[in-house]
Amino acid sequence: MKSAPTLSSAFLQPAGEFLPGPLLELRKQRGTALVDMPLPTRKTENWKYSSRHLKLSDELAASLPSSGKEGSSLALPGYRVIFRNGVMVPEASDFPDMNGIRIQRFCDLDDQEAAALAERLDNTLDSHAVQMARLNSARFEDGLLIQLDKEAVLDQPLFIVHEVTASSAGSAYPRIYVDAARHSQMTLVEEYISSGNEPVLVNTVTEFVLAEGAQVTDVRLTLEGENVQHIGATGVRQAATSRFESHCVGFGGPLRRHDLQVRLEGEGAECKLNGVVVTQGKQHYDNHTSIEHVAAHCDSEETYRNIAADESHAIFNGRIHIHQDAQKSNANMSNKNLLLSTGAEIDTKPELEIYADDVKCAHGATIGQLDKTSLFYLVSRGIGRREANTLLTMAFINELVEQVPVEAVRDAVQLRLNDFFNQAFQEI
Amino acid sequence: MLSIKNLHASVGGEEILKGINLEIKAGEVHAIMGPNGSGKSTLSQVLAGSETFEVTEGEITLNGENLLELETEERAREGVFLAFQYPVEIPGVSNLQFLRTAVNAMRLHRGEPEMNAAEFMKHAKEVSKQVDLDPAFLKRGVNEGFSGGEKKRNEIMQALLLQPKLAILDETDSGLDIDALHVVSDGVNALRAEDRAILMVTHYQRLLNHIVPDYVHVLAGGKIVKSGGRELAHELEERGYGWLGVKDEEATASSSVT
Repeated sequence: MKSAPTLSSAFLQPAGEFLPGPLLELRKQRGTALVDMPLPTRKTENWKYSSRHLKLSDELAASLPSSGKEGSSLALPGYRVIFRNGVMVPEASDFPDMNGIRIQRFCDLDDQEAAALAERLDNTLDSHAVQMARLNSARFEDGLLIQLDKEAVLDQPLFIVHEVTASSAGSAYPRIYVDAARHSQMTLVEEYISSGNEPVLVNTVTEFVLAEGAQVTDVRLTLEGENVQHIGATGVRQAATSRFESHCVGFGGPLRRHDLQVRLEGEGAECKLNGVVVTQGKQHYDNHTSIEHVAAHCDSEETYRNIAADESHAIFNGRIHIHQDAQKSNANMSNKNLLLSTGAEIDTKPELEIYADDVKCAHGATIGQLDKTSLFYLVSRGIGRREANTLLTMAFINELVEQVPVEAVRDAVQLRLNDFFNQAFQEI
Repeated sequence: MLSIKNLHASVGGEEILKGINLEIKAGEVHAIMGPNGSGKSTLSQVLAGSETFEVTEGEITLNGENLLELETEERAREGVFLAFQYPVEIPGVSNLQFLRTAVNAMRLHRGEPEMNAAEFMKHAKEVSKQVDLDPAFLKRGVNEGFSGGEKKRNEIMQALLLQPKLAILDETDSGLDIDALHVVSDGVNALRAEDRAILMVTHYQRLLNHIVPDYVHVLAGGKIVKSGGRELAHELEERGYGWLGVKDEEATASSSVT
């Protein structure tokens, strides 16, 4: 019998000696635990569609140098932090110096701060469900720690541009930790981009801890190139009456995987998770989300839309787990999907586990194609087929795009989507 | 302007149009009447280029151009406009975006500069008044949540914006109350022009009291069985289709409703 493939030991040699001692120590511990870690296979339930796209050859184990040619980010107004290959570029960054808001790179933490952070890293994620996040914990070379004091409000969105420069093969491990104290507020925009054409792996972890009444919005834009395997995890823990909003907009690639895990741990907490995924060619995009209703009286609302063209493949797996004590939970999940060609594939799986008896829980999933009558109506007015297809496809996701906070981000997303569809409908 | 010769069309192997011949000159308004299932709507859809139907024989030319060789959007750009019997609701695409995209596609085809959003908005607001539509509807999804009458007015508004050479109105009067019928008729009458042909497809005579046609044709069993002047419409109203050897209970029963 063939034994299951394990993580190559080449991946367990981290760079990044500038991290403070406690974080180096944490990394080492996490690395030790990964020795002989079995890689997901077709038989691993949460990787069954994606394991064959995960290609962790030894050449990807190398740390990418933190220098390199700059890619083109969306260049949007607001505070900005640039990470190149997982390491912050201070001279390109511009972030607020405000009372009550501390933004620090991991490499700049003193030992005491680093020890406190080391205690908390990975606490938002179920490490069994997000196997690949553990690799990030063994390999991160820097990171961003964002701490909002009680009632602090960040006055503009903070853009974190995670750029990977693929002039040689290798991997990068961006990491963000957000600690939002009581009634603090912020909007974060994570933008993942790449330059260069060599094969690379981007393995990200972003964690949010929201104290009572905190409000955090996270926009996540996955825009990397065709040479990039992107495996990301986002973990969120919410105390009472806090509100978390996530807006993920993902463009396909050889492998795109995002695990989003939210735990509603205090009464009256709310989360809203929106996602738009578009794929074409032979691209592959896999979203796994999990919402844990731990406390009573919490609301969750999740809306994901996938659009797959050509021979691409998109996956949505949405888990909602309502714990026994989480009475009066209100959970809504909707996943609608659009297949633009007969060769495309979309798999959707709502997973509901409900252990409380007084809850409202609704879910719906559909897979469809563009409506021929609508198309005829548009072209009968002289509108070209390509444009008509783009209009109808955009219509399918407009409701979500319009909810993306920050006008400049919304406009940029709209533009990118338009370009994407124009390309997807090129043959028409 | 429009010339249809021996047109045969079928859907799923069943022949619906069985040899239509029709000539419409510029400036003329023709009405096609006939009982349900006679092929009226099929004819409209075939003219506009619907892929639902297969043209098996015959020809259609518009100003000498062979329409059957053109895609739907190319026909539209050559000046063919179909006001749909059942206008389609498209949530997520705003009317404004839809109308501007269509107008600009036409302008581009004619070698004219595109209209920017502000210019178009101004123009669209003026035209919307002509068909008595609240300009607020421009921001809504295409036909989304519109009443039957609003949908039909939106169709006429599109014709006014696109200024076609041939306007085909498919049962534009159906589902309209008397006030809406006036508005729509006024819109259609505003379209009448020396260089434009109008083809009205209708089950009932009442629309023809408001938009007076130059010619009336009776379509039955996939063929035009009778043609005449406007007086033919009145004759049909009084006598139904029976005297032509055509069965249509609904038309006979409702011919007194105007």
